[in-house]
Amino acid sequence: MTSVGPIRTDPAQRAALRRTRARRVVAFAGMLTVVGGLVGLRAALTPAPTQALGSSGLAVETGGSGSAGGTSPTPRHTSGGGSTTARRVVVGKAYDVSYGTVQVKVTITGSRITDVTAMSLPHGGRSGDISQYAAPQLRREALSAQSAHIDSVSGASYTSAGYAMSLQSALDQSGR
Amino acid sequence: MTMAPERPAPPQLIPDARPASHVGVRVALLAGALAIVVMWWLDPSPLHGAGAAVTAAGRLAGLLGAYLVLVQLLLMARLTWFEHAVGFDRLTAWHRGLGTNTVLLLVAHVLLIVEGYSLSDHRAVASTGWRVLSTYPSMLKASAGLLLFGLVAVTSGRAARRRLSYEAWYAVHLTAYLAVALAFSHQINAGQDFVGHPINRALWWGLYLFVAVELVRGRILLPIRAWWRHRLLVERVVVESPGVVSVWVRGRRLDQLGAEAGQFLLWRFLAPGHVWSAHPYSLSAAPDHGRLRITVKDAGDHSAALAHLRPGTPVIAEGPFGHFTLGKSVGSRLLLVAGGSGIGPIRALAEELVRRGTRHHLDAVLLYRAGHVRDLALRDELDHLAREAGLRVVYLVGHRSELGSDPLSAAALQGLVPDVRSRDVYVCGPAGMTHNVLRAMRELRVPVRQLHSEDFEMA
Repeated sequence: MTSVGPIRTDPAQRAALRRTRARRVVAFAGMLTVVGGLVGLRAALTPAPTQALGSSGLAVETGGSGSAGGTSPTPRHTSGGGSTTARRVVVGKAYDVSYGTVQVKVTITGSRITDVTAMSLPHGGRSGDISQYAAPQLRREALSAQSAHIDSVSGASYTSAGYAMSLQSALDQSGR
Repeated sequence: MTMAPERPAPPQLIPDARPASHVGVRVALLAGALAIVVMWWLDPSPLHGAGAAVTAAGRLAGLLGAYLVLVQLLLMARLTWFEHAVGFDRLTAWHRGLGTNTVLLLVAHVLLIVEGYSLSDHRAVASTGWRVLSTYPSMLKASAGLLLFGLVAVTSGRAARRRLSYEAWYAVHLTAYLAVALAFSHQINAGQDFVGHPINRALWWGLYLFVAVELVRGRILLPIRAWWRHRLLVERVVVESPGVVSVWVRGRRLDQLGAEAGQFLLWRFLAPGHVWSAHPYSLSAAPDHGRLRITVKDAGDHSAALAHLRPGTPVIAEGPFGHFTLGKSVGSRLLLVAGGSGIGPIRALAEELVRRGTRHHLDAVLLYRAGHVRDLALRDELDHLAREAGLRVVYLVGHRSELGSDPLSAAALQGLVPDVRSRDVYVCGPAGMTHNVLRAMRELRVPVRQLHSEDFEMA
């Protein structure tokens, strides 16, 4: 192991090293500035918060933990062929989960689940963020599975479990 | 002093005369980062309150950090486009320059996410951190991955490299692949931009697959194909002077290898103690008659062991790499400047020049800078070229303190080579020297397109 030679310890070498380090520090500061700037820009462009959960615009119906929901069958005429198909909205039980309450409302047309709306989900702060992204996915899963056998959304396992249980209770009530 | 040292100096983005084709590569890499920012921007979750803002910053830092990790892999994947446009030495310099900042960005990602969640949930940072680690999917794996990245960064710092053998550093560096794999699942399974976003998820998978395919192609398949085609074997090992060893390698169809004087290859000798590492050594002789030669000074465990290579040892060589060739010269009058171990490629260039010079009048000056006479390598060959072919060789020996001035300052160079402005200048040596010579050349108003340099000090 010899030292690599006299020129390596030259002042020029050390100056080059200092320049490299300075350049890297500036680059990292630049990266953080870009990230911070983008977040600031996005926050400035975000509209003011609304109270509605998700985009459904439904008012949140409160229900005590485990309280029974109810059915509200409403006849509805479909546009095709003149045949009528029963369209019912069934409200599932509310379940308390770790960060809030989960309760869903199921729309059943004939024997098909045609919509699932979250009436209550954990809200506020981080939990609200999770609900925001988990709810649409859970709804999609329920519609495609046509049952409460839905996969848990990563990072929202409690909400997913409450969602599935409330959905199951609504389906049980519907007698479907 | 080696033809390629075992203790690399820091990366040097040395200004040189290389065409600005690397701009295309920079633009492509920036476009990728921009696409990721767009993906992050399009995520619908609202940005209300400090917690959400900090979390969003953390997500962006994570996305960009992961992207930079992929860029780091791609820079080293021997992509033909990158090698041609940027050059191996500069790619390596970029890789080294980006490395620490990539890991720091990943650390920032973790800190910002935990801080953001803690603000949103009104919980202590420590308990939030624990909750994320214990309840979110794949977080333990991701944490292990980050630890490995940190280890890779720390062992690549100057202080650590001085203490570590090349082989130890290389082994740690290889774990970066494991770290990438460990970190991947938390991105896909817990990343807000990917959970429930099948398109983003598919694009992200595609990006990783692309990098993986390029790595396998460039780092495994191409070297194997090259070995199959050329069947390189050690022919003989020559001790040039105490501590300086030349290795002659012969093979088949070497004309198809396309190696030129001034270029280097990554050499992997299939012998005990050599198999697990590939080292960049420049050719120290113009390629000819089915033979290649490298010359290495004993500066570390690997280079010292080269002296014990047995004839017939198979060799896998990646490359050739480098833009440091006569083909890049603007005119036919040259100034070659070698510092320390940069003499290897400079010697090869001189030989190539003499070979071509039989047709033209040879007009070349070779300056060879060394701290001490004993550090001059290949001196007999240089003297031979001077005697037989009329190459003007000037040895600039001695420490600057002994000489009283820098023999490579603008004034000194002007004195040594009065017509320097009409010459193509090739500089190869330690980064500091190369930088100084190039600066002196600009002071002397040598046109930039006549300046050629190769930073031979690389991993």
